Amino acid sequence: MKKIIFLLTMLCLVVSNSYSSPDATTKIRKDYHPRPSTWVPKDHIKALKLAQKKYEFVKDVFKEDIILRQMRFRHLGIGIKDIKSTYMVLQSPFVNTYEDIYGPVRFMHGAHAKTLNENCVICHHYSPKDSPNKILPCRACHQDAFNPEHAGRIGLKAAYHQRCIGCHKQRQKGPIGCTGCHLKNVPDHKKLVKLPKDPTPTQVTQECLRCHKNAGQEMLTSAHWLWRGPSPYTVNHLKCTKHGKGTDVLNND
Amino acid sequence: MKHISRREFLTSIGVAGTSMFLPKDSQAWKSRAPENPFACLVDVTRCIGCRKCELACNEANNLPEPEKDFEDKTVFEEKRRPSDKAFTVVNRFFSNKKQDKEGNLLPTYVKIQCMHCQDPACASACITGALSKQPNGAVYYDVKKCIGCRYCMVACPFEIPAYEYFNPITPRVRKCTFCFERISKKGGKPACASVCPTEAITFGRRKDLLQIAKNRIKQDPGRYIDHIYGEKEVGGTCWLYISDQPMEELGFPSVPKRPIPKLTETIQSTLFTYLWSPIVLFGVLSGIMAINKHKEEGNEK
Repeated sequence: MKKIIFLLTMLCLVVSNSYSSPDATTKIRKDYHPRPSTWVPKDHIKALKLAQKKYEFVKDVFKEDIILRQMRFRHLGIGIKDIKSTYMVLQSPFVNTYEDIYGPVRFMHGAHAKTLNENCVICHHYSPKDSPNKILPCRACHQDAFNPEHAGRIGLKAAYHQRCIGCHKQRQKGPIGCTGCHLKNVPDHKKLVKLPKDPTPTQVTQECLRCHKNAGQEMLTSAHWLWRGPSPYTVNHLKCTKHGKGTDVLNND
Repeated sequence: MKHISRREFLTSIGVAGTSMFLPKDSQAWKSRAPENPFACLVDVTRCIGCRKCELACNEANNLPEPEKDFEDKTVFEEKRRPSDKAFTVVNRFFSNKKQDKEGNLLPTYVKIQCMHCQDPACASACITGALSKQPNGAVYYDVKKCIGCRYCMVACPFEIPAYEYFNPITPRVRKCTFCFERISKKGGKPACASVCPTEAITFGRRKDLLQIAKNRIKQDPGRYIDHIYGEKEVGGTCWLYISDQPMEELGFPSVPKRPIPKLTETIQSTLFTYLWSPIVLFGVLSGIMAINKHKEEGNEK
């Protein structure tokens, strides 16, 4: 019996040694589901290319009543089947007029068309004067803001925001805040973070709190700090209730 | 010599004084407003209260970091005024007239900053000419000329200029600069107008913007009330507002339609034409002296 216990402990030691890295300070994390090196998001690259495409500025537009326009398009059979790209990246120099706080919106064109009952004219409200059956993207008519030659026509950025937020508010569906649609362009933290060579955990936390002042207080009210229940998504600890931060992971009781 | 009674004397001074106040063509007050300056049109119904204009203003003018982050919406809980640390602020207003279907009050956001009056009271009150109306529309502040009397702060009908009270040696009057350097360049736009995501701020020439504002009101009369705040207020301002509520309910003061400097400058200039007021003053004084002397001589006799 003693031999078995000894053997088991030895085995455990060997196994644990094989897992621990030679240098204790460097951590190695293994990706269990690595992305194949050849994989590229094809639709995203296509969408980025489409965003580069330039449209000639439409000077005069064909104005008509929005409901008559919708009926006309129904008669013509123009609808969701004519959508060439269901996914778009709303990226344009006309949008980045001042700042670069946010990344471009990834717009589900097809999904929006479907939820709007295939009614294209809600967004595509006008057409060029000489070809009233043509449906062009927003940036064909809406380009630079404050163009004195076309006073009253809003720029592309405003056209997007007014249409999106207006519709989301009206239907009480979809985000109306900035980060609901945009990803934030996070500045390079390598330049911002200033730490000594071998920082202590407290130093690191204090450095974070230097800029993210409210994050510390917010953390104390979040589940990350207060959780005392089970950990259903933690592998091998599904039913364990001890791993919440409220119990034994941090001595914050 | 004919003896003039006291009453006659005072009446004649009164007549002479009032005749000086009467408008004469040669002395009538003239507006020095630039004819078609740059201007901004704020469409209150378009503002979504994102506070990006505050952020851009802060960056463009190198202002200190605010206490609360620009994404923090709790600042709307109290009404703010432009200060030496923020040249523009957005305030939130609720009105019973604006409700959604469930009866929740809908917010109205209003950005305030220097209105850049066509005939600015602050520039008129400034005794050193540190504040001046520029041909491009900006009311420009020259710190080198400023002596810190703060008359501009008293004169401004919108209570905009702020003062660096914390700075005892080199304090400055701070207010929106209309991004003077930026708009002086060709194609330059103010930071707030170029950052605004919904084009709630439209930048352009004042006459064009008045036309745009009139068109918007005409095309959507249900959305706006038929009033362009700043078209005639205090003789016209370079920042114009259109709204779905009276601007007085959105924290704006009710101001006269005439330019503020018109009255003050008329009084001031008429008081000193042909130096009549000092002459009258010293005349009165010498008269009193003569009477007193006469009395004293009489008493001595």
